[in-house]
Amino acid sequence: MEKTHPGRPLVVRQLRKTYPGEAAPALRDVDLHVDAGEALGLLGPNGAGKTTAISIMSTLMRPDSGTVTICGIEIFKQTHRAKKHFGLVPQEIALYPSLTCHENLHFFGRLAGLKGRKLKGRIDECIDLVGLTASAGKRVATFSGGMKRRANIAAGILHKPELLFLDEPTVGIDAQSRHMILEMLARLNRQGTGMIYTTHYMEEAQALCSRVAIIDQGKIIVQGPPLELTARYPGCADLGGLFLLLTGKQLRD
Amino acid sequence: MTRLVATIFKELLLLGRDRAGLLVLFLMPAVLVIVVSLVQENILKVTGETVVRVLFVDQDRQLLGQFIETQFRQSGTIEIANEVNGRTADEKNARAAVEDGDFQFAVVIPAGATEAVEKRVKRQILSAFDPGDAAAGSNRDMPRVTLLFDPLVQGTFRASVTNALHVILLTLELEMKARAVSEIFPQQLEQTLQKAMGPQGTATIGNPLASMNPEWGRQRLLGIESRQATRGDAAKRPSSVQQNVPAWALFGMFFIVVPMGGSLIREKQEGTLLRVMSLPVSYLTILAGKVCAYVLVCCFQFTLILAVGKFVLPLLGAPELEIGSAPLAIAVVVASAALAATGYGIFLGTIARTYEQASMFGAVSVVIAAAMGGIMVPVYAMPKLMQQISQFSPLAWGLNALVNVFARNGTALSVFPQIALLLFFFAGTVLLSWFFFHHRGLTVN
Repeated sequence: MEKTHPGRPLVVRQLRKTYPGEAAPALRDVDLHVDAGEALGLLGPNGAGKTTAISIMSTLMRPDSGTVTICGIEIFKQTHRAKKHFGLVPQEIALYPSLTCHENLHFFGRLAGLKGRKLKGRIDECIDLVGLTASAGKRVATFSGGMKRRANIAAGILHKPELLFLDEPTVGIDAQSRHMILEMLARLNRQGTGMIYTTHYMEEAQALCSRVAIIDQGKIIVQGPPLELTARYPGCADLGGLFLLLTGKQLRD
Repeated sequence: MTRLVATIFKELLLLGRDRAGLLVLFLMPAVLVIVVSLVQENILKVTGETVVRVLFVDQDRQLLGQFIETQFRQSGTIEIANEVNGRTADEKNARAAVEDGDFQFAVVIPAGATEAVEKRVKRQILSAFDPGDAAAGSNRDMPRVTLLFDPLVQGTFRASVTNALHVILLTLELEMKARAVSEIFPQQLEQTLQKAMGPQGTATIGNPLASMNPEWGRQRLLGIESRQATRGDAAKRPSSVQQNVPAWALFGMFFIVVPMGGSLIREKQEGTLLRVMSLPVSYLTILAGKVCAYVLVCCFQFTLILAVGKFVLPLLGAPELEIGSAPLAIAVVVASAALAATGYGIFLGTIARTYEQASMFGAVSVVIAAAMGGIMVPVYAMPKLMQQISQFSPLAWGLNALVNVFARNGTALSVFPQIALLLFFFAGTVLLSWFFFHHRGLTVN
C-alpha cells in the first residue's frame, strides 16, 4: 500500500453534519486525529454521532462541511485513492450469509484490488488470524455470533489497511470471542495499524485504546489517554465513571 | 475488470444458493408454459381446430339424415357419435347427455324429415309456376332439425357449430331444389308448349329439356382460398405454443425482479453494501456486475423455456415450437428484454425499503404488466382501452417482437422499434435508480 502520510493516518477537521429534516446537527465541528499505530476509542451514548462520524470518515456519507484526510489524501477529493488506505468493520455483520467465509473474503478481497496468489495468501492469513481456519469452507449463516464477528473483522483487514474503522465490533458476543477479538486487534495495532474504535464497553476501550474521545450530541467533549482523563476528573475511578459524569445518567433512545 | 468479474461470480453464486429464487426463475415459467399451452391448445381444438364431439340422432334414416351426417364427418372438425352409453341415441337420452355435459352438442333429425322436405320442395317449385298456392311458402309445417347445446358453450364456439349446420342445410336445400327444378321445369315447359302448340307441335321439338342434369345444383360458382399472411415460409402454422412459449418465457424473465430486488435490499439491510462502498470500487461496477449476472440468468432461463417448447410440449401432444429463421433477432430481443427486466429489478431494489416491499410489489407489478402486455390473453382479444394501455408494458414490447420473429418470420430490423423501447426502459430505470440511490443514501433503516 502507498504510504503518503506515515505519521498520521487520519486527520479530521471541523466536521459538521445535519440530517435532512433534523433541527439538531448530528456532528458539530468534530476534530479528531489518529497517529500511526494508535487506537482511538470513540465513545458516546446512543445517538451521540459515533456511527455518523465513522460513516463520513469511511466515505459512505458526505459531511455538510469539514475535511477528512486519510494518509494525506483528502477523502472527498480523491475518494477512490483514499479507500485503498482504510478498512471498515461495520456494526452489522456485513457478509453474505449464503456464501462461505472463504467466498466472502475472496469477493471482498477482489473488490479491494487483490488477486492471484496475493489474494489467496491474505485470505489464509486473515482466516488464521481470526481463528476460523477450520470453518472457512462453511457458510456464514451457520456461524455462531462470535464467529460472524471474527469473519466480519477478517473482511475489513484483508487488504492490510493502515487505518481501521471498527464500529462496535464486539456487540452481542460471548466473553471468549470478545477476548479473542481484542487480543487480535491489539496485535494489529502493535503492528502499526491505526484504529478508530467505537464501543459501549468502557473496559474494552480502556484495554485497547491509547487515547479516547467522548462524543455527545455530535460534539467531542473530551479526548486524551484514558488514565490522564480519569485523573483529570476527581472521583472517577475508571472510564465508565468518567463517561457517566460527562454524558449524564439520563436514558438515551 | 477483475472487480466486475468478481461481482458477476458472486451474484451467480448467491442466486445458485437461493432455492426459492431458482424455483421462481426456472420451474415456475416452465410449468406455466406447459400448463397454459396444453390448456389453450385444447381450447383451440375444441373451438374449431379439430375434434368437436356431436351426438347425432337420426330418426329420419333417409337422405336428409345421411347428408347431414356425411357433411359433418367430411368437415374434419366434428366427430359424430350415434350412441349414448352403448345405446342408440334418441332425442330423450341425447338431451340428457348434453345436459350432463357428456356432449356439447346434439343434432336431432326428426322422423320423416326427408319426405316432408321433398314434398315442400316440389310444392314450392310448383307454386313458382302457379302463384295461386300461397301456402306453399309458409313455415308452419316446415320440418325442423333440432340443435341441442350445452348452456356452458358460448360465443364463437356455439356459433361455429350452428353456422356449420346452417351451411349444410342450405347446401342440401339448394341441391334438393335444383333436383326438383330439373324434374319439374321440363315437365312444366312441355305442358306449356303443348297448351300453346298442341301435341304435334311439341313432338317436332324433340325432348332435350326432359333430361336436364340435376347435378347443376351441386356445381360451385365461387370459392374461398384461405392463406396465412406471413413473410417467407407460409407452411408454418401459428399455434398456442407460438404465443405461449415466448410469453411465459418473458414473464419468467421479468420475475427476476423478485430475487434481484431482494438481493439489493438484503445488501442494504445486512450491511454488505456499506462494506462494498467502502472499498475502492465504483457503484457502477457493482451494478454492471449485477446486470451481467442477471442477464446471463435471463438468457439461460429463456433457452430453457424454448427447449420446453421445442422438445417437451410435443411429447405432451402440443405442436412443436417453430423458432423462425432469425436467431440473431431472437438473441437481440432476449438480451434487450433481459436488460429491461434487470433494470426494473435494480429500480425496485433501490426504491423499496424492505424485502417484503420489493418481492410483493415486484411480483404484483410484473403480473399486471404481463396481463396488460398480452401474456395471458392476446392483446387483440382485449377491449380497445386495454389495447391502448398495453402499449406501455415492456412485456408487450418483448412479446410483440418475439411473436413477430417466431410466427411472422420477422427480422432484427422489423423488431427494432420494440428493441429500442426495451433498451430505453433499461436506461430509464437505471438512471432513476442512480438518482434515488444518491438521493436516499446507502442505509435503509
